[in-house]
Amino acid sequence: MKRKVISILLCAAMVSTMLAGCGSSSTNTTQETTEAGTTEADASVSSSDDSKEIIFWNTGTEGVDKQLMDMVVKKFNETTTSGYTVKSVPTQNDTYKEKLVIAMSSGECPDIYTSWAGGPMNEYIEAGFAQPIDDLMNASDLPDKLMEASLEQAKYKDKTYGVPFLNVAVSGIYYNTEIFEKYNIEVPKTITELEAACDTLVANGITPFALANATKWTGSMYFMNLAARKGGLEPFQKAVDGSGTFEDECFKYAGEKIQEWVKKGYFPEGVNSLSEDDGQSKQLIYQETAAMECIGSWMTGTFKSDSEEFAQKLGWFPFPAGDDASIDSSILIGTIGDNFIHFNCTDEKQAAAFEFASMFTDDDVIQFMADNGKIPPVKNAADLITDPMTTQILKAATDAGAVQLWYDQYLPPAVATAHLDSCQELFGLTMTPEEADKKFQAAMEEYNNEQK
Amino acid sequence: MEQKASLAIQRQRATRKAAAIFLAPVMILLVVYIFYPIIDTFITSTYKWNGISANKTFIGLGNWSTLIHDMNFWIAFKNNMIIMILSIIIQIPLGLAMATFLDFGGKKLNIFKVLWFIPLLMSSVAIGFLFSYALATNGGIFSTISKLFGGGNIDLLGNPKFALYTVIGVICWQFAPFYMVYCMAGYSNISTDVFEASRIDGATRGQYFWNVALPLMIPSLKSAAILSMVGSLKYFDLIYVMTGGGPGTSTELMATYMYKNSFSQFNMGYGSAIAGGMFILISLIALFTMKILNRNAED
Repeated sequence: MKRKVISILLCAAMVSTMLAGCGSSSTNTTQETTEAGTTEADASVSSSDDSKEIIFWNTGTEGVDKQLMDMVVKKFNETTTSGYTVKSVPTQNDTYKEKLVIAMSSGECPDIYTSWAGGPMNEYIEAGFAQPIDDLMNASDLPDKLMEASLEQAKYKDKTYGVPFLNVAVSGIYYNTEIFEKYNIEVPKTITELEAACDTLVANGITPFALANATKWTGSMYFMNLAARKGGLEPFQKAVDGSGTFEDECFKYAGEKIQEWVKKGYFPEGVNSLSEDDGQSKQLIYQETAAMECIGSWMTGTFKSDSEEFAQKLGWFPFPAGDDASIDSSILIGTIGDNFIHFNCTDEKQAAAFEFASMFTDDDVIQFMADNGKIPPVKNAADLITDPMTTQILKAATDAGAVQLWYDQYLPPAVATAHLDSCQELFGLTMTPEEADKKFQAAMEEYNNEQK
Repeated sequence: MEQKASLAIQRQRATRKAAAIFLAPVMILLVVYIFYPIIDTFITSTYKWNGISANKTFIGLGNWSTLIHDMNFWIAFKNNMIIMILSIIIQIPLGLAMATFLDFGGKKLNIFKVLWFIPLLMSSVAIGFLFSYALATNGGIFSTISKLFGGGNIDLLGNPKFALYTVIGVICWQFAPFYMVYCMAGYSNISTDVFEASRIDGATRGQYFWNVALPLMIPSLKSAAILSMVGSLKYFDLIYVMTGGGPGTSTELMATYMYKNSFSQFNMGYGSAIAGGMFILISLIALFTMKILNRNAED
């Protein structure tokens, strides 16, 4: 009897799992077919795309970015008359770049996606995964609203391929005002003064710079700024077009300074094992064991959303001037626009997607961005911002003699990787500045030769 | 006579047909997911291709000659070999020791069986994150202990000298339980008669282990060694999460190097050549080891 009951129960269990299996698999199939539909249309970029859903890939996984994406997506889906809806698919920053490449290589590129412009954007365009939007752009009011420098960054071979929407982000130094006051440190105006300040901090057991360099691009910030203060932007531009070289004096100077600073204890111990994505550099700032951090100005928003109270303690200053007065010390390293939306769709769908992208410049949206520590790349940004630190950053950006896009975004990916790897080794003291520059130059030459 | 022969042939045909039908599902899976990708990888490795654009340029063996002269690839291969050797030396004896302890201890030690098995149940990515915090220079376990005794911070993952060995430690922590289970299965295959007979003959536990149990377990230990070997040669996930191959090239493995080239540097052709190189090297090493192990068995 007992055995019978058990066998009946088992049968029932089996049947129910079978049914459950059928149920879920049938829904899966429908989903897959719609996805497959979109993909095919993407690959051929045809207008016969039946899917009325625009897939939007971005990096807004947390904080203000996520709120912003959700806000604009919701606004578009509620107000649009185009018949399309947008679905946002956020991915964490550093995995995003790789995920996008994998998607493209298998022909499953999303309808619209964000990038940081520069080298990778050019690769996407060359591969046919970004369509020009000049007609839509010229017909809209975006050229009047957006900063010219930001539109310039979205161009490739004189055509516009992206809508800048997120931020004006320049690298500068955040510092803890309380620590500076405690040890009587003035905001440094020159690199010599900065070094004096660092020496005072080290003497008092405080790490001068919070840096998490497992992520590599974080350490590159110091390299780029030091090189720009030593030789301006000309050596870099020449090295890129092949008329100069990365073995120029200013890059050697940057490498030597970094190693000198590492040896003097200006950076946290184990700097190459700390990860920016895990927040291990801001952790040092919050623990008040580090006094400064040279990073992009998007951190204003992060500091504020982490702790409004702690953010009050922080100040900002641009990277101090070099010894040579003939070099323009207002030059900044950064990006005007930060994130750009690209369009892998055409005709009606592209128009709808463009309508979505232009909503990022609506008054209420840019006001939201300005209130949350961002500098939207719009001409009237200064009027929207009330926060003193953000105002200061915006002023530095608008007064800058030039803004150079981050090396790792500006350069072709293979060259960028060579730079990031060798720069990390500089911090680890496992490579001399000469070796690092040579590696950097060799990668650039190889790329230039291939292009010929 | 004639009829009989045709009957035999008929039967043979029917068997073949049945075999084909029964093998078809497995064969289709193998072809689609194993053979086709391998062949396609080798084909892709003869192109210069960024992975996303439609135009590929055929460059013959260009990627392969670069690969042979690429120091970074050989450094990665060397790192793989270090992981392989240390994994076999550490994991299998450790697993065997744990299994022996549990076997001798009997039921009262079941709690250890559960505790020691836990690492294997966690995903590599979770373990990677867990240990990158636990081993952090600032506020990690080792640094905190060292500070307690008046020392400084200890940098395990950021120092190119220790990074690889630190990661190997974590890999062993993760996989030793697997070999524990493997050896426990080995023990349960030894019949109790053997154990009882050796006890009656007056063997101590030590003697039983070294002279009776260990020789009987050699076949399972051999296959464990091969598993560990192949596993460490294609290792990827934990390293990718914990160090990303850095600092510099100190923990770069063939698999992480392949991934970087294919997906971060837009060099799918060269990435495929690395994958092809891995395939050849791993196959050669596995064949070579199996031959050595089998020859010993024949002696």
